[in-house]
Amino acid sequence: MSVMSGGGNTLIMAVRNWVYYIKEAFSSIIRNGWMSFASIGVVTVTLFILGSFMLLNINVEHLTSEIKNQVEIIAYVDEGLVVDEVDKLRVSLIQMEKVEEVRFVSKQEALIRLQSQLGELVEGYSEDGRNPLRDSFEIRTIIPEDISEVAASLQAMPGIARVDYGTEVVEKLFRFTGAVQWIGLAFMIGLALTAMFLIANTIKLTVNARSREIMIMKYVGATEWFIRWPFLIEGVFLGTIGALIPVVILSYLYGQTVGWAKLNLYFLPLVSPEIVIEQMVRTLFVLGTFIGGVGSLISIRRFLKV
Amino acid sequence: MIEIQEVSMVYPNGVNALKQVDMCVERGDFVFVVGESGAGKSTLIRLICREYLPSKGSIKIHGRDITRLRRWEVPMLRRNIGVVFQDFRLLNNRTVFENVAFAMQVIGSSGRDIRRRVPEALELVGLSDKAKMKPLELSGGEQQRVCLARAIVNQPLLIIADEPTGNLDPKTAMGIMDALKNINIRGTTVIMATHAKEIVDTMRQRVVVLGGGRIVRDERRGEYSHHGC
Ligand SMILES: Nc1ncnc2c1ncn2[C@@H]1O[C@H](COP(=O)(O)OP(=O)(O)OP(=O)(O)O)[C@@H](O)[C@H]1O
Ligand SMILES: [Mg+2]
Repeated sequence: MSVMSGGGNTLIMAVRNWVYYIKEAFSSIIRNGWMSFASIGVVTVTLFILGSFMLLNINVEHLTSEIKNQVEIIAYVDEGLVVDEVDKLRVSLIQMEKVEEVRFVSKQEALIRLQSQLGELVEGYSEDGRNPLRDSFEIRTIIPEDISEVAASLQAMPGIARVDYGTEVVEKLFRFTGAVQWIGLAFMIGLALTAMFLIANTIKLTVNARSREIMIMKYVGATEWFIRWPFLIEGVFLGTIGALIPVVILSYLYGQTVGWAKLNLYFLPLVSPEIVIEQMVRTLFVLGTFIGGVGSLISIRRFLKV
Repeated sequence: MIEIQEVSMVYPNGVNALKQVDMCVERGDFVFVVGESGAGKSTLIRLICREYLPSKGSIKIHGRDITRLRRWEVPMLRRNIGVVFQDFRLLNNRTVFENVAFAMQVIGSSGRDIRRRVPEALELVGLSDKAKMKPLELSGGEQQRVCLARAIVNQPLLIIADEPTGNLDPKTAMGIMDALKNINIRGTTVIMATHAKEIVDTMRQRVVVLGGGRIVRDERRGEYSHHGC
């Protein structure tokens, strides 16, 4: 006989053990009803805030890139220029190094555009042929960050009266969104740690209540993982349920928000739900499981010391 | 079967509980460890079931040095050692049967083995008729028998008991000793730490006397013998 003898059919034993782990985990969840409920609540609140931040972040990012792509320079043409000269100017603009696209907007076209945006406010102008607007070029740079440099060289070109671009607004926006993302990230990490700590404490109560059982298990030779599994399953389950609730609520709310925005804030380009929700669901479930699992492992560590 | 060689134990707080202890236990032996309070009896017992690691020396069980076991090997060692405590350590919300079965369950035994071996263990300690009762409905002696049944149900090679009769009156204590002797006769080695002089005297087994962390005497069935291996 060996000191290290084990025994039994491994597969049958594994199945039997898993039945035991799951039974133990769920009976513990039910026995500690209120604490389980509190843990789920903590994860739910955490992941709800986290999820909201994520949605916000994704949209801010989307909005930023959208705006980045839309920033363009408007170069107004001197009024005295004839058609030929305007065309030459266009060619030299296109040949500029950092320029991606040049579009000519005649003053008639500009007026029509303005009218469609502002409606009857500018009615009347087109009828009597008076048009206060100028011909212009809309110029897009290859990378948005080059915009001020290109604008400066345009300003110096003959035939161009004035150059317009939303530098300050754009730069401020870039800085703002960057800050939002960093603050959001720090906030999320803090929240996730808090949730993990709370879950660890919840399960620690369960573990405490069962410390005698655990001690006996150790004395009769239960393996560490045999002792650990039920608690791990318990934590993962609480974490997953805690993720399920915000996933459902946020998915619903986001869908509603996008629908509402389409009708009322049509200029605001929100990311469509199909794309965002999948990413959010995945992240929240992974995080919930992780928080629950790690929380329970932390709480049981002390009791497993030989 | 057990070879303890030059074992010293210094607790983290600096207490030197065992000093250069050498001791050998043969298979099937019944050994009392006695000595005044603080002599180091419990420490020795804890070292044998690898609750602690000794500061120095080696403890071999079946030739295997248990101070060098890997973490995952410790449970395998414990499956071959049955431990009995002075304060019983039963699960009060489970029946006698369930308490004993628990020890089998947590090492992955099958339901069929459990249903066969738990009644055997309970019969050996004379508790067959109390299987359905809860620990708190039993007397102290009966509770300690449940512990004994739990300790033997996995058929360990060795039983270690730290003052198993410490909370019992002399008559009940003798009942426990009869049960232990029964287990020993079937081939299981028994090491028992105790204060109870009457028990040691009546049992006429090997007695190891600890004093101040050292072995001061080692008597085999009345006669003095050399300690060490
Ligand atoms: N966990 C511990 N940490 C620190 N010191 C300890 C610990 N356990 C025991 N000691 C010390 O080690 C010495 C031996 O203690 P041990 O429990 O082995 O004695 P004992 O012979 O079992 O005594 P008793 O008959 O009272 O049970 C004592 O001085 C005790 O204070
Ligand atoms: Mg003691």
